[in-house]
Amino acid sequence: LYVKAVFTGFRRGKRNQHENTALLKLDGVNARRETNFYLGKRCAYVYKAKNKTLVPGQKRLNRVRILWGKVTRAHGKSGAVRAKFRRNLPPKALGRRIRVMLYPSRI
Amino acid sequence: IMSTPSAKTASAGSKTKTSTTTTTVVKTTTTTTKAPQQKLATTLGAGAKVKKAKTTPSGKKAINAHSNRELGSNGLMRFSRGRMFRRRALYRIDKWKGAQAKLQGDKTKKTTGSIQKKKQRRSALTKKPVGGDRNGKQRLVQTKRTPRYYPTEERQKKFSVKRKRFGDHPRRFRSTLTPGSVVILVAGKHAGKRAVVVKHLSSGLLLITGPHKVNGVPLRRINQIYVIGTSTKLDLSSVKIDKLDDKFFKRVRSAKKNAEKDIFDSKKEKTQLSDERRQTQRDIDTAVLAAIKAHSDSRLLRRYLKSRFQLWNGVLPHKLKF
Repeated sequence: LYVKAVFTGFRRGKRNQHENTALLKLDGVNARRETNFYLGKRCAYVYKAKNKTLVPGQKRLNRVRILWGKVTRAHGKSGAVRAKFRRNLPPKALGRRIRVMLYPSRI
Repeated sequence: IMSTPSAKTASAGSKTKTSTTTTTVVKTTTTTTKAPQQKLATTLGAGAKVKKAKTTPSGKKAINAHSNRELGSNGLMRFSRGRMFRRRALYRIDKWKGAQAKLQGDKTKKTTGSIQKKKQRRSALTKKPVGGDRNGKQRLVQTKRTPRYYPTEERQKKFSVKRKRFGDHPRRFRSTLTPGSVVILVAGKHAGKRAVVVKHLSSGLLLITGPHKVNGVPLRRINQIYVIGTSTKLDLSSVKIDKLDDKFFKRVRSAKKNAEKDIFDSKKEKTQLSDERRQTQRDIDTAVLAAIKAHSDSRLLRRYLKSRFQLWNGVLPHKLKF
């Protein structure tokens, strides 16, 4: 139960980039006014690692790891969105899938 | 602007505590040319109520010389608030007294208590028995002793009385999440399932149920943020929900055991469903199922509650109407 998004890059000017804020392109969201629904929603960068770790809620050790964040505001006119993660996204996540959950729900 | 009728002021000089300014004004209005209404006043006698003419004989609007009016256009009035209060003598009128008593309602609660306390106040000195043969058996001691320490600085106030604790904050509920509405659970074990809101709890949480028979969602507390409200509503007015509150659903934690025991007992205590919970689940569910049956689309509703909320290709939540 999540909306698919792509991590397109960090917030940046032409020559400087700020890695604390990520830019996400949400599937099917193409205008700034459509982003209102997604503001505040939790997002997750899901990835796999070599070593298995315990995931809260799971009993077995898992290779899956998650970086959590949230959508903070709209970015530009065409439906892109800014998100802040608890730890900055790694650059290898560029172009990769990010899950935007449906909670905290406001409707 | 309160204007006292001119006939009254002539006789009411004793009532008002105002200075001589009013009396002098009275004299100046009674000029050589007597207005017809004043003639009437004299004929009827003092104390008679005579309606003041609104226009002078010349046709201009008459200003009552005794009334309160603006001095220029700067907001200053001729008579101050306190002055007007005394002039109007409202303190004598029962209606005003009643209104005041109402306004001061909350205050009087405190004051009556303190007044009562004052009446019940013990005398400043009390007799206390004293031991010993030659000590006179009793002694007069101060009831309330003077403090033995007067701090030089005021103690730092840690918590303002006015500031509300989190527990006292009002809890608000989204308008779409009324009791009886069908909601979509968006997170947790039962994510994607549809459930029915039973009650708003005082802690701000919602109480929901599947019903359990329909989709496996038990009577459960859930935060509003993990729930999407739909426009489907059930009529749950007949459901008895008085017993259900946060205390009922609170996790019961066993008392702390000795440290020694903890080390050796590595087993986790599994939470057992109490029979009371099972029974209330059954009770609430039968009531909710009855409400579903009573609904116009009961068959569809049951199917609806059984189904899961799904997103698939092309379905965009921001465009969906829930």
